[in-house]
Amino acid sequence: MLRSLSVPRAAVRSAFKQSSSLPKVVAPSAIARLSKRSYATEAEERDLVIIGGGVAGYVAAIKAGQEGLKVTCIEKRGTLGGTCLNVGCIPSKALLNNSHLYHQILHDTKNRGIEVGDVKLNLEQLMKSKDTAVAGLTKGVEFLFKKNNVEYIKGTGSFVNEHEIKVNLSEGGERSVVGKNIIIATGSEATPFPGLEVDEKRIVTSTGALALEKVPESMVVIGGGIIGLEMGSVWSRLGAKVTVVEYLGQIGGPGMDSEISKSAQKILKKQGIDFKLNTKVLGGDVSGDKIKLEVEAAKGGKNETLEAEVVLVAIGRRPYTAGLGLENIGLETDERGRLVIDSEYRTKIPHIRVVGDCTFGPMLAHKAEEEAVAVVEYIKKGYGHVNYGAIPSVMYTHPEVAWVGQNEQELKAAGVKYKIGTFPFSANSRAKTNLDTEGMVKMIVDAETDRILGIHIIGPGAGEMIAEGTLAIEYGASSEDIGRTSHAHPTLSEAFKEAAMNCYSSAIHF
Amino acid sequence: MASFASACRLSVRLSAKQLRQDATSRGFRTSARSLAAQNFTMPALSPTMTEGNIASWKFKEGDSFSAGDVLLEIETDKASMDVEAQDDGILAKIIQGDGSKGLKVGTRIGVLAEPGDDLSTLEIPADAGPAAAPPAPKEESKAAPEPASSSKAEASKPSSPVPSGTPKKQTYPLLPSVQHLIHEHGLDESAIDKMTPTGPNNRLLKGDVLAYLGSISTSYPAELSSRIEKLSHLDLSNIKIAPPAPKPAKAAPPPAAAAATAPIIEDLEVAVPISLTAVIEVQKRIQSTLGVFLPLSTFIARATALANSNLPRSKTSPPSADELFNQVLGLDKATRAKGFKGNFLPQISALPARSSPDPTKKASTAPAKKKKDLDIIDILSGTTKTQQARAAAAPKPLPGISDSVNVFSVKVPRGDEKRAQLFLDRVKTALEAEPGRLVL
Repeated sequence: MLRSLSVPRAAVRSAFKQSSSLPKVVAPSAIARLSKRSYATEAEERDLVIIGGGVAGYVAAIKAGQEGLKVTCIEKRGTLGGTCLNVGCIPSKALLNNSHLYHQILHDTKNRGIEVGDVKLNLEQLMKSKDTAVAGLTKGVEFLFKKNNVEYIKGTGSFVNEHEIKVNLSEGGERSVVGKNIIIATGSEATPFPGLEVDEKRIVTSTGALALEKVPESMVVIGGGIIGLEMGSVWSRLGAKVTVVEYLGQIGGPGMDSEISKSAQKILKKQGIDFKLNTKVLGGDVSGDKIKLEVEAAKGGKNETLEAEVVLVAIGRRPYTAGLGLENIGLETDERGRLVIDSEYRTKIPHIRVVGDCTFGPMLAHKAEEEAVAVVEYIKKGYGHVNYGAIPSVMYTHPEVAWVGQNEQELKAAGVKYKIGTFPFSANSRAKTNLDTEGMVKMIVDAETDRILGIHIIGPGAGEMIAEGTLAIEYGASSEDIGRTSHAHPTLSEAFKEAAMNCYSSAIHF
Repeated sequence: MASFASACRLSVRLSAKQLRQDATSRGFRTSARSLAAQNFTMPALSPTMTEGNIASWKFKEGDSFSAGDVLLEIETDKASMDVEAQDDGILAKIIQGDGSKGLKVGTRIGVLAEPGDDLSTLEIPADAGPAAAPPAPKEESKAAPEPASSSKAEASKPSSPVPSGTPKKQTYPLLPSVQHLIHEHGLDESAIDKMTPTGPNNRLLKGDVLAYLGSISTSYPAELSSRIEKLSHLDLSNIKIAPPAPKPAKAAPPPAAAAATAPIIEDLEVAVPISLTAVIEVQKRIQSTLGVFLPLSTFIARATALANSNLPRSKTSPPSADELFNQVLGLDKATRAKGFKGNFLPQISALPARSSPDPTKKASTAPAKKKKDLDIIDILSGTTKTQQARAAAAPKPLPGISDSVNVFSVKVPRGDEKRAQLFLDRVKTALEAEPGRLVL
């Protein structure tokens, strides 16, 4: 009886396995095979074709190469790495770091006993050093492609049908690629501001803001999110008068903890950036020597005109799927242009999957990277994992702001009982010796179980420190677990530990 | 009725055994010691039984029993049956007394202890039955915060965890907070296994210990975990599909794609006819002047070695990391002058001598085709002797060598034809032009 039972069960299981692996090995339909002779150029079928060589695309390509898949990556930019490496995270960090150095020499090193004579800014060289960093990294990715046997096609891909992608080659000509599996990783672009035409010279997005030819006298940043504040910081440090106009009541975007956001605003204000919160931009006039921006206080209704040499539009990013030929295969996007997926990143055509900025979730390079690995694991092994509850966010101003998990206003809205532990860097020995004591660590834990719900840091090196917080959340740690773990002395990370101690008992040094 | 009851007895034993096996396989129990106290749950007396009533217990609390004794009588809607003990032990506690009705299978009805256990210090394991959540915390809070002295006494005979339910043995080092709480409250090591972990991958969290201790609600850690779990997924609910853009009428294009043919990874054969006349002449000359006989294989081996040195790199060999990086940087052309050592080993087969040796090299793509070609030549030249020799020649190089023209061939992966051709040309030059220099 038992034996006879077990046989059909095994059979069922194997049948299930087969059906579950279907998307991995679906070959183009028999019809496609029959009609292949009618095509002049015959394409080799690849295990995986990835459209987009940005962080999501290139990571997926390398991972697939390592997993032994025959993989092709199509990228039209001419260099790999996408927005992040070419016109995003990487070049902005080069500018942020170097402009901070310049600013420090101008205003800070004298107090530290270092007197520098004639300080001059060589913007051209500053940009060149940025470009060197970018070139090195994009070439590095190309090298990794070669190393992992990823075929790299420079060109613009668009769907002909569910399996075939036509590529308009950058060097001219056309070729067609057929994939058993296809990943769409086309990323995002800066959302333009209605009524202001971006020319990347005077009205710029983050892309243009990374390559201004001279330091503008004045700059208005529309949008006080992370990108706006980072680029605003760069040009403010280099000498521009920067005004940030934000529609919401806080800077840093809705994910940033309000308390931290206020603290960041105060510090940045001291550095010379002006803020206009709760303010709406009505329109602009670019005809004159200077751009005139009409703004209105969102509540008071008071109108005002701001003048600026350069306007940076940083109101967010939107998925980029133009020219992809989605209509040829009937793929849908949601209202905000995001490609619709299921929890395994599949579209309604199961062998076509989507990861990164062009689908749901926060538009972060490290989120895309996690998804890229997970999606290849889904294709190859049938299981992948991304914990969206433990994805950190970092703003690389000075001081940096970093957080992971939920913030106080979200928890309040959800009606969760929580406790807060904080520790200021002004009480941290290392921050004191560095003469860099602005900011604090704020830890939010569940009132009953002490489990960490969110960690918010503003201060020097916050972006590095948040890794520990992310790990803690990933492992379900309580503040006591951190408080009872040794942190090296003297380091900034001691502030992290003391904030944790402040949650379940009290900090020692405050 | 009696026979039915005995049949049931069998099934009760079986299920009890299964319980025990289940417990062992989960790694709850590591030694006989840990069998000390054990929850006794409502057994399933038939595969379809879901609940039953207790007619009467045949033992009182504190009584010892031995294997085979009838512990209690259970009634279902169909029949009443005796439940036998399968091991010696003590009925430590009766939780559901005589006449209890509608008890679900798996509900804790009593606690059994090992023979010789002192019931006054025995720790009652937490209930893990299906419907047991509400009564559990009270008992636990009573049992857990015992004075440290008594818990030390117990340490020598840790009680057994429940054989089913959510508590799970912790296989990783405990979190610092958990460890601290356990010591602070003087909890027994074995208590850990009775706590219900709610952390990722069943990790025991501080909140789980607090719940076990009764200082917070027992269900709260699980609620919190499920809330956090929700955050760990992308919210794909309430997706509002954008209205379809006005698209060119192109309904479901037929898959007219050129399907890819699987690339044929077959080896190519490159062949070059080489005359050994010069070699044999030199061989004879050496033998006549020096008295030394040098076999043909020596000439061929030396020619092969010579030709293998300093070849261009193979297209199929994986480039090194340095080369790849140089390639990306565009430096590959400048630095790629160096030669590479090949490892070709030619196959030699005889070709009949012809009046005018064909100066053009022949690179055939398939062995079959090559044979066919040779057949035509054979027919034309009318020789049969070499034809036989050639048939045996393919695998072994030497036996079938003819005195004049032989076909030297190597098999290479696609893409390496040129390299092989170069190699064979060098062998040809070495053997045909100045074979003497190979050995002298």
